[in-house]
Amino acid sequence: MPYATIVVPSYNAAATLPATLASLSAQSFRDFEVVIVDDGSIDNTATIANLHAAKDRRFRVVHQLNRGLAGARNSGIAAARGSVIGFCDADDLWIPEKLAAHINHLRANPEVGLSYSGSALIDEAGNRIGHAQRPRLRGVTSAHVFKRNPIGNGSAPVIRRETLDAIAWRPASETQRDWIFDETFRQSEDIECWLRLCLKTDWIIEGVPGLLTEYRVNATGLSANIEAQLASWERMVTKLRPTAPDFFAQHETAARAYQLRYLARRAVSSGDGDAACALLGRAFGESHRPILEEPMRSLTTLLAAHATARFGDMPMNFARTVLRAARS
Amino acid sequence: MPNLPHVLHLVDDATPGGVNRVLEHIQTCPLMDRTARHSLRVVSRNGALPSCDADIIVSHLSLNWRRLPSLIAFRARHAGKPLVHVEHSYTEAFTALNVPSKLRFFTMLRTSLALFDNVVAVSQAQADWMKRRRLAAAQTLRVIAPVVDLRDFRALAPADGTPRVIGAIGRLHRQKGFDILIRAFRRLPNQDVSLHIHGAGPEDAALRALACDDPRIRFFGHSDHPDRVMQSVDLVAIPSRWEAFGLVALEARAAGRPVLCSGVDGLTMSAGRDGTFVYGQEEAGWAQALATALEADTVKQKSSRAVDCEREFASAWSRLIADHTGYDATAVSTSDVYSTHACPAE
Repeated sequence: MPYATIVVPSYNAAATLPATLASLSAQSFRDFEVVIVDDGSIDNTATIANLHAAKDRRFRVVHQLNRGLAGARNSGIAAARGSVIGFCDADDLWIPEKLAAHINHLRANPEVGLSYSGSALIDEAGNRIGHAQRPRLRGVTSAHVFKRNPIGNGSAPVIRRETLDAIAWRPASETQRDWIFDETFRQSEDIECWLRLCLKTDWIIEGVPGLLTEYRVNATGLSANIEAQLASWERMVTKLRPTAPDFFAQHETAARAYQLRYLARRAVSSGDGDAACALLGRAFGESHRPILEEPMRSLTTLLAAHATARFGDMPMNFARTVLRAARS
Repeated sequence: MPNLPHVLHLVDDATPGGVNRVLEHIQTCPLMDRTARHSLRVVSRNGALPSCDADIIVSHLSLNWRRLPSLIAFRARHAGKPLVHVEHSYTEAFTALNVPSKLRFFTMLRTSLALFDNVVAVSQAQADWMKRRRLAAAQTLRVIAPVVDLRDFRALAPADGTPRVIGAIGRLHRQKGFDILIRAFRRLPNQDVSLHIHGAGPEDAALRALACDDPRIRFFGHSDHPDRVMQSVDLVAIPSRWEAFGLVALEARAAGRPVLCSGVDGLTMSAGRDGTFVYGQEEAGWAQALATALEADTVKQKSSRAVDCEREFASAWSRLIADHTGYDATAVSTSDVYSTHACPAE
């Protein structure tokens, strides 16, 4: 029985999957299996997955009709045999020490149920773009998860099996296996799962230092998506509010402001300054907490939004060039 | 009468509620009376604890950092006495919803519980949680499910037909989750069913506002006759957000009333195998579960009426007492005090 399972949900990921799988084969901690879930892909994801599984016997492929990211992860969890389970989306990469770092962390801290790390952002060619997610690592409360989601992305966490079991359920419509992630969500499925974990169990969520994940961002067509993202975030709030009404009464407006600020930053990244300004207006109308709690980040977002609205892509591209030069 | 060991119970919360009903049962139960003399002492919530003369001292105190120094002093002054703690409140779901700094909380519990010779968990789920979080050493940990005198409940005719009156019984506090129940109930189209809320507490006004003008929802306040309350309902709903044990579920079973409850903490034990469990606190999920429960024919459901609970409780305590005093406890296992009154309708 392998000690760890890494679940790789894959949907039409032929372009990026080989690098993802190679990064997993290269893990320094070697006692693991990989479950690649081919979520009804119509490109040659299945071929790539099967080829890799033939080369590295620790890899298995599960094929299913398309159920979405949450459904693919749930199928991967159902097939997993490891006592800890990590997730790596089919366009992201794990650096070789990642699994070892999380397993050491979980072994040394029996109260920690979910271990995550920071992530370096990479572009479509796989080059680091100089940005990173450097979240708070310790002393993480439910409020931090709700407002800032320190776990960051779906390829960051490694989680104990019993922690996942503690939030599993079987909806009436489901005949095959349990749900861990809520498959009725097509966005916000991560944060819904993490916040539910916080509000229903007393497992501690904690990070380890380092940028151990390479998280791919693509800058196309984000703005069109923003209202849909907000709507699914609101649905997550509506779903979980009855579990902890006091918690939501205390943190909901601040969390919404952070969510709007996050979407504003994504709008800046995709060059839509007007949308970014509008989102920031809504954010700070909702709550001033992001300004008080993270003044620098709120201020730079505000400046970037207005600069982008006024001058287009130019200021942000210039800033990126300067930053990259300064770092290299 | 042989010279029975004296067991002194300490409590710092004298308000009516589950804990004090259990303590009353401990003092009045004829089975408990056979293996020990039980007495009760109410102490202040935060002040120093008194010197006590007894063969065994049982704490029903609430544990917190502020209580810890007085608890350590108490242990020092009773260094040779067997000390037992019964944990009535804390559970995993409590921690998830009420404790911002979990590691700090676990350390407080671990430090406090280490002062006792035995720790009594009130449900298997709570004991499993204590083991998982290493709050108490496995060899000191026991599970004794609380109980009250259930004879009046067993004497009731069991509910039959399809349920018409849903009962929500307990303190009007967010822990009990009656807000979830009211919202879910209001979604039901049935005009011939009602929701009866029995209890008092800080959420009273908020719950009445939530019920709005729905004439099917009625508030009855607190009653000193829980058996009569139980008689007036056909089904008991327990949407608690956390619950160390859940006496109401046990009473409902004894009364032959079906139980619909959330699957948290100790409810998985108190509602027993007959209980229907709802995952989560979502309005839609609860409305669906209520609708299903209101269609089920209660007569067809065979209920065990929580038979033998009092005797199991008394023998578990007598075993614990015997372990510390050597006093033989066989008297309890041969008794039929409670079973003679059980299940008149079956």
